[in-house]
Amino acid sequence: MHYQGDSWGFYMPMRSMGSDPMERVVKLASESAVVIFSVSSCCMCHAVKRLFCGMGVNPTVYELDQDPRGKEMERALMRLLGNSQSVPVVFIGGKLIGAMDQVMASHINGTLVPLLKEAGALWL
Amino acid sequence: MNQCFWLENGLKNKSCMANHRVGETGLTDSGPSSHHHHHIPYAVLHGMNVPASFIHQEGSAFDFGELEEAIVLQGVKIRNDEAQAPLFTTGRPAATLEMFPSWPMRFQQIEIGSSKSGGESTDSGSAVNTLSSKTENQLEPESPVSKKASSSDHQAFDQKPMQQQLLEMASDISRTGTSQNQSAAKPPQEKRRGSTSEKQLDAKTLRRLAQNREAARKSRLRKKAYVQQLESSRIKLTQLEQDLQRARSEGLFLGGCAGAVGNISSGAATFDMEYARWLEDDQRHMLELRTGLQAQLSDSDLRTIVDSYISHYDEIFRLKGMAAKSDIFHLITGMWTTPAERCFLWMGGFRPSELIKMLISQLEPLTEQQVIGIYRLQHSSQQAEEALTQGHEQLQQSLIDTIAGGPVFDGMQQMAVALGKLANLEGFVRQADNLRQQTLHQLPRILTTRQAARCFLMIGEYYARLRALSSVWISRPRETLISDDHSCQTTTDLQMVQPSQNHFSNF
Repeated sequence: MHYQGDSWGFYMPMRSMGSDPMERVVKLASESAVVIFSVSSCCMCHAVKRLFCGMGVNPTVYELDQDPRGKEMERALMRLLGNSQSVPVVFIGGKLIGAMDQVMASHINGTLVPLLKEAGALWL
Repeated sequence: MNQCFWLENGLKNKSCMANHRVGETGLTDSGPSSHHHHHIPYAVLHGMNVPASFIHQEGSAFDFGELEEAIVLQGVKIRNDEAQAPLFTTGRPAATLEMFPSWPMRFQQIEIGSSKSGGESTDSGSAVNTLSSKTENQLEPESPVSKKASSSDHQAFDQKPMQQQLLEMASDISRTGTSQNQSAAKPPQEKRRGSTSEKQLDAKTLRRLAQNREAARKSRLRKKAYVQQLESSRIKLTQLEQDLQRARSEGLFLGGCAGAVGNISSGAATFDMEYARWLEDDQRHMLELRTGLQAQLSDSDLRTIVDSYISHYDEIFRLKGMAAKSDIFHLITGMWTTPAERCFLWMGGFRPSELIKMLISQLEPLTEQQVIGIYRLQHSSQQAEEALTQGHEQLQQSLIDTIAGGPVFDGMQQMAVALGKLANLEGFVRQADNLRQQTLHQLPRILTTRQAARCFLMIGEYYARLRALSSVWISRPRETLISDDHSCQTTTDLQMVQPSQNHFSNF
């Protein structure tokens, strides 16, 4: 099952997976073409969501502030990227793209669209 | 007639006690009426115009000269009539201290502050004496009061014998007035005068009293003027000190490129200086590009120049990143740019898609591949700009909601939340700068080296012209100037703007 913006649909299967938040992140990231880890109150997350929607992409969004294990996952993401900001973090086709910085850069340098097409998120 | 009112009130409260005292000294018997509580006041009865005068005066400007005159005359008269000397020297009751509840607080405090027992004789003595010192203008000499007996109006003071009311008030006031008048040294003299006044007043005494009154009045006025002068100087001094301190801490004296005087943070001032230096470097780079293009340098040489120009832009983005941490508002409001640039400001800098649009028209001939590349760049830039703008708008809305606070604004807590949200502004300016940087980096990937060199030269020249336009606009001749304030404003702006002669060379 695939709910955009709802992580609860995956909660039951995850329980059996063990408690490593990073594993959970990777697992979730690989289950959709475009995955955004976000916090509902974060404005930069809003910007990245608007970017993808503006391109005609339908990303799967996980609001970590609404996830019971969200805090751990945020910390894992911070370690992963070495950022002071945990969100937003974008995965395309299961591969880590990065935070807003990297998403912007990849869009400008023309690598984002091919990635999206490759992952099946864009059909044009 | 508020003062009438308070007199009435004050007197009402203590009329019983006062009349007891009056009874003690036998004054009641001598009063014009035998009814304790509805005495027609002496002053009124005897046509003293004291009520009118002291009613209309208050505070430090209180000139109780007339009051005192009237009272001392009354005192004199009473003593003469009834030989009731002790009335004024001893008869001032402790009740005076709470006599007038509607007195200004100052007076009440003074009343409370004075000892009930100890200072009384002195005070009443001084009261009498100050009273006796003011005898001249209000009343004709030689017991005028009896002449005005019939012409009184019976308005206000019907609770107590007038002289007692007036005496008490005068003693209270004189305590205040004493400090104001700096007449603290007077009591001994006044005591002497008091003893004099126990006899008949003579012309010599009257003259002396009048002189004293005038002197006291003058010294009061002088002191008031001096104090006012001191106060305003003190305020000016503290303001100057604050300005100086602020200016010092903000490193104001940085050579004129700090923008609005005294109004700029140190981070902003530092950035403005660095930006000024960067603009000078910019001109050097443009010169290099121009001569390189004209000299038909090899591609590799030209490439070096192009790369150095890109690094030059990387440098300003790095500097802006640091400035964003210390003064985000300075950046995002574009106070570091010229007014014309500020007009087109987007997220603290230029809008990349606009820049690309400007370049497209001038970069021909382009191959089809290049055209596609450039349009794609413009398109993705627009999308990214739109996303950032929307994110920024959400931040603004969230900030508005926090500051508005709903039905209850929880002060500190909500301020803390608002502060946290404001901190996100830095992220948006950084992402916008990131977008600009990526766009500039992308251009030489789409274009040939020569095209890239021309492109960057065009960009440099474009912004130089925009800055020059700002200067020209500000310094344009305006016969219809509304006010001189504008011309003062322009000189300040001119200092802010880079020297315009270099810009004009690009036209």
